[in-house]
Amino acid sequence: MNRRATLVALLALACACIPFVLHSQYMLQVTDTALIYAIVVIGLGILLGFAGQMSLAQAAFFGIGAYSSAIASTTLGLSPWISIPFGVLVSVAIGAGVGYPALRLSGHYLALATIGFGIIVQLVFINARGLTNGPDGINSIPPPHLGTLALDTYQTYFYVAYGALLLSIYIAWRVKHSRIGRAFEAIRENEIAAQAMGINVTHYKVLAFVLASGFGGLAGGVIAHMTRFISPDSYSFDQSVIFLVMLVIGGSATITGAVTGAILLTFLPEFLRPLKDSYIMVYGAAVVVMVIFMPEGIVGLVRRLIPTYQTPPAAPMRATSNVADSA
Amino acid sequence: MFDLSATLQLIVSGLAMGAIYALVALGFILIYNAVGVVNFAQGDFVMFPSFIAVSFILPSVIVFGSVMHWQLPIIAVYLLVLILMAGFGLLFNRIAYYPLRDRGWLPVVISTIGVSIFLRNLAQIVWGSQPIVFPSPFALQTLSAGGLHLRTQDLLILGVSALLIAFQFVLFERTTLGKQMRATAQDRATAQLLGIRVDRIVAITFIYSVLLGAIAGLLVSPIFTVTKEMGGLISLKAFAASIVGGFGSIPGAIIGGLLIGVVENLGGYYISSDYKDAIAFVILIGVLLLRPSGLFGERVSEKA
Repeated sequence: MNRRATLVALLALACACIPFVLHSQYMLQVTDTALIYAIVVIGLGILLGFAGQMSLAQAAFFGIGAYSSAIASTTLGLSPWISIPFGVLVSVAIGAGVGYPALRLSGHYLALATIGFGIIVQLVFINARGLTNGPDGINSIPPPHLGTLALDTYQTYFYVAYGALLLSIYIAWRVKHSRIGRAFEAIRENEIAAQAMGINVTHYKVLAFVLASGFGGLAGGVIAHMTRFISPDSYSFDQSVIFLVMLVIGGSATITGAVTGAILLTFLPEFLRPLKDSYIMVYGAAVVVMVIFMPEGIVGLVRRLIPTYQTPPAAPMRATSNVADSA
Repeated sequence: MFDLSATLQLIVSGLAMGAIYALVALGFILIYNAVGVVNFAQGDFVMFPSFIAVSFILPSVIVFGSVMHWQLPIIAVYLLVLILMAGFGLLFNRIAYYPLRDRGWLPVVISTIGVSIFLRNLAQIVWGSQPIVFPSPFALQTLSAGGLHLRTQDLLILGVSALLIAFQFVLFERTTLGKQMRATAQDRATAQLLGIRVDRIVAITFIYSVLLGAIAGLLVSPIFTVTKEMGGLISLKAFAASIVGGFGSIPGAIIGGLLIGVVENLGGYYISSDYKDAIAFVILIGVLLLRPSGLFGERVSEKA
């Protein structure tokens, strides 16, 4: 193992100790939520950061995973260990069904089509009462069990969320450093050149969209069995926007950026709590300030501040601009 | 259960709502044409001026938790709101766009999202979270003619929108300022070479877009109540309208807005009121898949 891999392994181990250090139930809940959001944002990062395609429907796939897993476990009595992967499958299937026609569009057009899709999905959650129980949502979703131990505290559930996150990071890392990841990068930088090199652009764009849906669905299933209650308002357009902001603030082209952005922006409102009513307002202002002063996200800022930690520079956010303009 | 007079009334109120979508959509398009970015705070420029106006119109309104008595004549209020929002448009341009103008579209989109979050919560802090009923200059009267009952507010919306669109036509086609705005939208670098102060024209475009949103807000508030969320769905549907008409096209936005207003009103009545809000997006996705350049789309120019 080289030095970097050792560092990563040590960091991962250190993070696994968090539930022993953190005693506030509330902070544990925020931590678990942050880890789950990080999964969603990694998915979005594959789509936007790696492949350069914009989606504002990530909360919809988060919701599809949550609802599929919740419905499968409450009505069919499936164990969450089976219903969560089932939610991923449903999410992936819908992602493929939507992605194939939608990805003929690019840039702003794709973003707009995904907004439309996201709003329709939320309206289905609200109105398909027979399946989703409408605005009241679904309650008494069972927690997962490990043998006879119910993972129904934020302390134990931390490991479910953490495990899912590590798995997601691993998959995203493998994707990035594979033939697929390089194809994504080529498409992001120049779609026409990528096609000329023999990359099946449509195929890879749909694949990126499907991967993003899958990560969204996984996170949705994981959060449903933590909160044990889901309702349509958690899966709104605004939530999709928040995921996008997390990704861009973190640094869109790297996995570290996605994870950092998700965790930081989940905790930021908690740090701003002393401001009482005005905290979300300050959060909005902070987003503007961060995007102005940190062109490559938090990860880019850290790289600039610590010159010894040199890796090949991540593509800055403007790398996606050519996609918008070719719309 | 087809009912002719009900259908006609639905069409008129749909056209009125559609005119609101069209005004908001024009705000989107002008900024998009000028700088290549979709402004996600456009809906909040519908909401915020409505709150300011209502504070000065109602005999008593709660601002920062205490009751204010600022009652002014309604025309004075409208003027005051427009002046304030013009200043606000300039501020928005300087803070959320100007520092990011050379960084591609995504950072600007994120910063407009930040402004949107900021404004919604500022509104909540200042005016609280209770919906406020906005008094119309005509209350909610209806005019009856030939068995039809039409809301005066709907007719007012249609009249004002028609005037605005005519004004905009004259502005763009007949004035130097309008020509400079069009030149900047078409090709910034060339416009700059021709001696047009591009940054100033872009700032004026922002101000004009914010004013369009403000007028839409003042017109639509008496139909809905004033809440911090009121701009959200209006702006998303206006988005949809601008795509349906052909993004970047001004006549397209107007026709797209009217079309969505009418179809969703009829659909909400005859098909399903639960899914009324989905209709605009179903039309949007349908149009995007079948004819991505929009119904009346000019080919969208590729900017290098």
